[in-house]
Amino acid sequence: MIDSILKLTDRLLGRGDAAITVPVFDGPLKANNVIEAAEVLDSLEAAQDLATDGQHLFVANGTCVLRYKGNVSEKIHDFEAPVTAIACLPDGGIAVSLAGREVLVVGGDYDGRRWGGSGDIQFYAVNAITASTDGLLLVTDGSVGRSTAHWKTDLMSLGASGRVFELNPANGNIRSVASGLSYAYGVCYADGAAWVSESWRHRLVAFRNDHSPKAVISGLPGYPSRLSPAAGGGYWLTCFVLRTQLVEFVLREHSFRKRMLKEVEPQYWIAPALNSGNTFLEPMQGAHLKMMGVVKPWAPPRSYGLIIRLNNNGEILYSLHSRFDGKNHGVVAAVECQGDLYALAQGSQRILKLPLAEAERSARA
Amino acid sequence: MNETHAAKNGVAAESWRDRLTRWRYDYWPDHVLGEILAKRWMETAIPVTVLLIVAFVLSEAIPNFLSAASLADTGRQAGEIGFIVLGMALVMIVGGIDLSVGSMFALTNFCALFLMHVLKWPVAAAIPVTLIFGAMLGAVNGILIGIFRLRAFLTTLITLIIYRALYELLTADYATAIAGGMPDSEMWDFIGYGEWAGIPVVVYVYAAIAIMGHILLTRLRPGWHITAIGGSRRSAYNSGIAVRRTVTMCYVSSGVLTAIGGIFFASRLATAGGDIGVGLEVTVLTAAVLGGISLGGGKGSVMKALVGTLIVLLIINGLTTMSLDGGYNRMVLGAILLLAAAIDIRWLKNKHRIVNKVYVSPTYHALPPAPSTAADCGTPWAINDRLRPATAIGLGRIEGPEDVILDRNDNLYAGSRHGDIVRFLAPDYEKMEIFAHIGGTPLGMAFDRNDNLYVCIGGMGLYRVTPERKVEKVTDETNRSYSSVNDDSRLRLADDLDITDDGLIFFSEATVRFEMHEWATDGLEARGNGRIICYDTNTGTTNTVIRNLKFPNGVCIASDGKSFLFAETWGCTVKRYWFDGPKKGKTEIVLDNLPGFPDNINNSSDGNYWMSLVGMRCPALDLAWRMPGFRTRMAKRVPRDEWLFPNINTGCVLKFNENGDVLETLWDMGGKNHPMITSMREHRGYLYLGGIMNNRIGRIKLDNVDTSFVQYDKRWGKS
Repeated sequence: MIDSILKLTDRLLGRGDAAITVPVFDGPLKANNVIEAAEVLDSLEAAQDLATDGQHLFVANGTCVLRYKGNVSEKIHDFEAPVTAIACLPDGGIAVSLAGREVLVVGGDYDGRRWGGSGDIQFYAVNAITASTDGLLLVTDGSVGRSTAHWKTDLMSLGASGRVFELNPANGNIRSVASGLSYAYGVCYADGAAWVSESWRHRLVAFRNDHSPKAVISGLPGYPSRLSPAAGGGYWLTCFVLRTQLVEFVLREHSFRKRMLKEVEPQYWIAPALNSGNTFLEPMQGAHLKMMGVVKPWAPPRSYGLIIRLNNNGEILYSLHSRFDGKNHGVVAAVECQGDLYALAQGSQRILKLPLAEAERSARA
Repeated sequence: MNETHAAKNGVAAESWRDRLTRWRYDYWPDHVLGEILAKRWMETAIPVTVLLIVAFVLSEAIPNFLSAASLADTGRQAGEIGFIVLGMALVMIVGGIDLSVGSMFALTNFCALFLMHVLKWPVAAAIPVTLIFGAMLGAVNGILIGIFRLRAFLTTLITLIIYRALYELLTADYATAIAGGMPDSEMWDFIGYGEWAGIPVVVYVYAAIAIMGHILLTRLRPGWHITAIGGSRRSAYNSGIAVRRTVTMCYVSSGVLTAIGGIFFASRLATAGGDIGVGLEVTVLTAAVLGGISLGGGKGSVMKALVGTLIVLLIINGLTTMSLDGGYNRMVLGAILLLAAAIDIRWLKNKHRIVNKVYVSPTYHALPPAPSTAADCGTPWAINDRLRPATAIGLGRIEGPEDVILDRNDNLYAGSRHGDIVRFLAPDYEKMEIFAHIGGTPLGMAFDRNDNLYVCIGGMGLYRVTPERKVEKVTDETNRSYSSVNDDSRLRLADDLDITDDGLIFFSEATVRFEMHEWATDGLEARGNGRIICYDTNTGTTNTVIRNLKFPNGVCIASDGKSFLFAETWGCTVKRYWFDGPKKGKTEIVLDNLPGFPDNINNSSDGNYWMSLVGMRCPALDLAWRMPGFRTRMAKRVPRDEWLFPNINTGCVLKFNENGDVLETLWDMGGKNHPMITSMREHRGYLYLGGIMNNRIGRIKLDNVDTSFVQYDKRWGKS
């Protein structure tokens, strides 16, 4: 009773859960242009995920897996379905997710191990895989029922069916780590726990055996996606889209939200996007107005490029940006390999290469 | 407007929910509430309402409460206290407070009685001396506070105690003498009990002084100075106002006004009892604050003082009639004072926020799904790159040329956001000069047959620049409409114009509810806030022709010379209005359900019309326009920079005819050269493009057109 009264006053006054405020880019999140200025390693129309074995960069592109030696790519696998996630295993194998519905190991000791599909477990949107040093796999399944391509529908429908599983390639076992997450998108092993990006709640959650889940970092200004370890300790976290006050507002305007889902095509929704400015049919916000031919870089970002560097405790050290007036938006994955940071900007369909030392210097300047 | 309803009826299968929403917003005028709240008289309206309620409740509760005799008695008291409230009002408006009024009242009452009863002075001498005495008492406060800059609260609190002590000393000595020596003066009795036409003398005097006070505060320099000092003492000082002297004089006036009250009281009751004036400061302060005179200074009026006085007196008399003890009386007054002070502070602090929140009142606006503009849609709407080769004139040298026009000598004119009319000289348009400086934001332009350049100026009205570069105001107001709460006689956003052969100038005013920079808020409302106005150059009169248009924009006289075409930006339509001929007074739709927001309209060389679309519709906005509640909450909760705006980053130029056929469109899809197009003129085979957010004028060669076409010559004949 009291709870519902509080909710009502919150809604009337725009407080609590009804607040549409968005954290600002401040301190270590101070904006820069590092991602926008990055060298383009390759342009790939269907790239989905990045991985590294410490020597080479691996890219899931359409149904293929590419391996890069320097700037030269080589197709090493071709599957029957699009690859939505990829991870390198310590034994030299590769784990991939096919169409988000199956997880498959190729190469290494457990070549051919499969989960999902016709098995006892049903996946829908496997969007990230990570391998531990002892050979276990962690996968995130974004939502029950919606494929990876339909993340926007899941967000705007207030989806909360994300799951995390631990897979054992040695015996094929599956263990459920978490379920009911507001979109699980990205996972990594950290200090004996599984850190998971719970995108629609703007936070990283640590799941540890026999412990209750704990937020590592919350109140992010964007929707977090994949995580990967950084060489000097700590992690790389990408935010594939950012929060804006208008979207936060629409998420709380249920009648408008539902009519929009029903009556408007997804690419024209008031919703975050991997890229923007393609057509005048996209919604425009006040600050997007071009003045004297210039659009403000600090305008509310319908799309944006953001990579966050975390330390071992999940605190933000610094961040790399491509701002609203840039192109390299929708960064869904970032991995570190041989002193370079590789990022996949789905908004511009590019693989970006950032020399680490230089990137860190300009980000901290 | 019937035709807009026709457009709405064209919406495929309007759902019941939409229909109910439409009815709700068609018949309930949401925008009126904000307009009323924004009025300045609202601050007096609230106390007046309270007064009426109090009077009604008490007259219901107490028999004969509002009888003539009772009213006359109330009138006497109201007069006496009213003078003191006026004095308090002055002091409060100048930013101070006078707590010593109760003691001053007692002392001046004593002074009058002493002069009349004990010294037996004539009335004509006693009154001026009492007034001077009051002035001196006030001057003590005034000098301490005004000149020596002591705190008003503390100073008057101390004079309250000192004056009271003085009064008690004096009454101890003379109370019996006063009680014993009634003066034999008809004049004195007349002051106390006299009536004209059943109304006590004191009321007439009060009325006279109140009117003088009103004139002083609202019409005379000293009054403005008082308000200015109360509003901001430092600014008043910096602008050269004699702050100290004015403040001092306010306290002196408070003393004099209190003395007037004291004289009337003395003549009526002839008593110097111990409790006279005790607690009077609370009554007076309550009256002032209840009336709406702000404790913070700078705000107040005589009317407010009067209303506050009446409320307080009615309450006191009501309580007395109900035989409540005097202690309760004061308790109630104190409670009311607290409440009124709290409301005063909260209201002053939050009024503009409340008005801001309530003023914007979106309404239901449904459009059918927009026609496709896809490159493969197979209609003239298909997007293309025909504007890409446009060259730039004055790149980086001109900002915000909303409209462009060429004269008969091929010179190019454009407005700028700095308030200039800029001229680029033919033939190469490299040399640029300021043709005239008007101010405001120059928008639509048109030449008349004598080479006068008429310009609509956003924020100012309709202006004219003669060939000698002389700037003249043509008109900045039209007839006020009786149904509008806002004063809509002033022109806020004159937008585009055209001139008929007979010298009638028809021009659009985009909105009467918002200023120019708030154009997007008008789009958020999507109500018919705009109008078309006619200025008659023959008679010099201005009158409104069509009202309730959704951001009327471009205006162009049609081929028959008896009608004009006009664009409604948020309505996404072009309509034709006949001002003469058999169809006089009729409006017809020419283009309906455009995929974008139409702006200026001009003639093309082949007898058709050019029109620009300043921006394009998007599905999310179309949906939001059908959901006014969503937009209302968005306006309140989301900062303006994050609002869903009409997209005016991309637009196009199109050619259409009077039958409503779109013949061709010209786009620049990258938006590199011309992110926005608000106007275009065809001239000798070229099209010139203006854009209100651009830093250039575009120029593009047209194919297969009459390269001798000059709009001026076509319109007014070759010279």
